Amino acid sequence: MAQEMWTEERPPGDFYRILDPDGELETEAPEMDEEELLQLYRTFIATRVLEEKMLNMQRSGEVSLVARTLGEEATPLGGAAALQPDDWIFHTYRQTPALLYWDRPMVEVIASATGREPETIAEQLDTEDPAVNFSPDYTPIGTNVVNGVGAAMADAFNDRDTVTMVFTGDGSTSQGAFHDGMNFAGVFDVPAVIICQNNQWAISEPAHRQTGSETFAQKAAAYGLSSARVDGNDVFAVYEKAREAVERARSGGGATFIECVTYRMGAHNTSDNPNRYRDDSEQREYWEDRDPVDRYDTYLRNRGILDDDTETELRDEIDDQVADAVEQVRSISNSEPDRMFDTTLHGESWRERHQRAELHRELNGKNPFVDFTGEGFNE
Amino acid sequence: MSNDLDRMELNTDVEIDPQETEDIDLITAVNRTLHQEMDRDESVRLLGYDIGPLGGVYRGTEGLLEEFGKNRVIDTPLSENGIIGTAAGMAMRGERPVPEIQFMGFFYPAFGQFMYAVVKMYKRTGGALEMPMTIRIPYGGGIKALEYHQESTETYFIHTPGVRVICASTPAQTKGLLAASIRNDDPVIFLEPKSVYRGIDEPVPSAEYTLPLDEARIVREGSDVTVLTWGAMVHQAKSAATDVDADVEIVDLRSLSPLDIETILDSVSKTGRCVVFHEARRTLGLGAELSALINEYALDRLKAPIKRATGYDVHFPGHDIEDDYLPDDERARYAIEAVMSYEF
Ligand SMILES: Cc1ncc(C[n+]2csc(CCOP(=O)(O)OP(=O)(O)O)c2C)c(N)n1
Repeated sequence: MAQEMWTEERPPGDFYRILDPDGELETEAPEMDEEELLQLYRTFIATRVLEEKMLNMQRSGEVSLVARTLGEEATPLGGAAALQPDDWIFHTYRQTPALLYWDRPMVEVIASATGREPETIAEQLDTEDPAVNFSPDYTPIGTNVVNGVGAAMADAFNDRDTVTMVFTGDGSTSQGAFHDGMNFAGVFDVPAVIICQNNQWAISEPAHRQTGSETFAQKAAAYGLSSARVDGNDVFAVYEKAREAVERARSGGGATFIECVTYRMGAHNTSDNPNRYRDDSEQREYWEDRDPVDRYDTYLRNRGILDDDTETELRDEIDDQVADAVEQVRSISNSEPDRMFDTTLHGESWRERHQRAELHRELNGKNPFVDFTGEGFNE
Repeated sequence: MSNDLDRMELNTDVEIDPQETEDIDLITAVNRTLHQEMDRDESVRLLGYDIGPLGGVYRGTEGLLEEFGKNRVIDTPLSENGIIGTAAGMAMRGERPVPEIQFMGFFYPAFGQFMYAVVKMYKRTGGALEMPMTIRIPYGGGIKALEYHQESTETYFIHTPGVRVICASTPAQTKGLLAASIRNDDPVIFLEPKSVYRGIDEPVPSAEYTLPLDEARIVREGSDVTVLTWGAMVHQAKSAATDVDADVEIVDLRSLSPLDIETILDSVSKTGRCVVFHEARRTLGLGAELSALINEYALDRLKAPIKRATGYDVHFPGHDIEDDYLPDDERARYAIEAVMSYEF
């Protein structure tokens, strides 16, 4: 099991870091004011509370499946914090902190997990768009990389100074679409930042099953991209490297690939049981000692920015926010069955009209198949 | 659910003792069959991600890594195109790979290799190169999962020459069809209805046996109307048949490509009425082909137009209305009643 202990070829300690595991600075902290520092903290806590709540909702059958960010929050958070309003994020199911940092409404995050039709959700929620743009979240992995690069190409062609940030998993780097995206990013020098959230597992497959290279960061070289390898549990380190990459992208310096080394503390998602394929006691301990929230919490307290009162106040505020969002989600009615036909194509075809009518008849306890002339159900 | 064993025609040289059976579900039948085939033929290798220590997300490959080692149960990088492409290379060199695609909706990245290498090699070498491989794919809805985890897009495969498309509906069918697929020298898409994985237990012979890869199965004989169906819908059709005022014949196609056209035409010619009942979207679903075939070769026997009770031409919907999308015994019953009510 020696190799399983470090699922990567190179031990995780070998990377760029600012905040040590005890929350002490190793080098200079990024330039951020107190409000910005607290905003990071708030997002950390909000993510934990929200995801915990969603987990409960999954257990009670309100949402079908939940994939958590537990223990890897600093990666999407540090990355997202490096963006500016009007930039774009292309994400998957494991970047909740990026959504919350830019105030993507919690109610949308929860509602999209309830399996209702997007039209139903959109109609019944009165929410505002966040300052940073988000792609829809992607289920098929790897796809978002090449899409994000295309979006960045569009910005380049139009001389916009928008930056696109793409999040992908370590497992997803095995997909053709990842390599297609990296290659186009290099050839077209696109204003993009591609972040590999290397949590070392893709469901049951450890990172060394995804690549024969020593690190994921090395992949950038083959495509002509700048790269960095950072401690994915150190929000400052991720932020700092992401900020440099965003600046480079915005100033015409092309794309950067950042590997953020972190660890999936829990299951892949709520239908997974990691005890079947990993004995992670040693790894878990190592990463628990490096918990991104604890580290950051210590740092803020040492600097006198956070104390128990502020924390309690903030947690109360977040609890209320989450409770509010859940209540709103519960007030969204179920989708009307024929919503399934909406937004398939613009305009309405014969088939669509006909199949809608069939569905209605079926729902009303009438036989949908009695049209033998193609004239529908005029009666 | 009743067992089909008594009606099952076993196509095997081995004497089967019907007493020696084991009550198992469909996914266990997959597992037993993989075990059996790996035992009997060293060139059988499994490929896929999550198939090793995890034993597959549905446990189809559970225990096989321990039994056969990592060169027989190959845990791959997370790349469908890589899995199918390397399986093709192995098949070209005399191996008999059995790749697993985790969900049908994740086959799409593999379409390049599937089209370029897998289905074409036999033809482009004039028969010199065979591509024996069995691509296992769980398909279909009914489990309230995320998008792309519920696809029933077998039409893409059926439309493609050079590949067999097989769909099993019960544990006993699964064992015989999967073994036959693995032993067959053509590439096979082997579809497993995942809503049935743990749904039905039935006695499955412990001995080795195969079932024909090109014959449909009469699940239930009847004289009024033929229901053509496969996979999970076989069970819905059976339930509908007991609930209508008609003598229903149910044909489980088993082989979606090539089709057992004789059995299909014989049945429809006998009953004079036909309902095609499938989970896939309607437009260019297999029902379209079946309906055209019957029209071409059995029109004069028809007492009613053929009806297709199917999924709608939409993306698989969110799970709050999934039940409204999916065909069920009620939809099958309506279609049967409609064709029974028709008079030319
Ligand atoms: C094309 C495709 N194949 C398979 C899947 C099923 N699947 C979903 S997530 C996942 C593992 C992804 O691992 P990784 O990229 O490391 O991201 P993580 O889940 O660890 O954040 C798999 C196999 C999918 N969603 N898309």
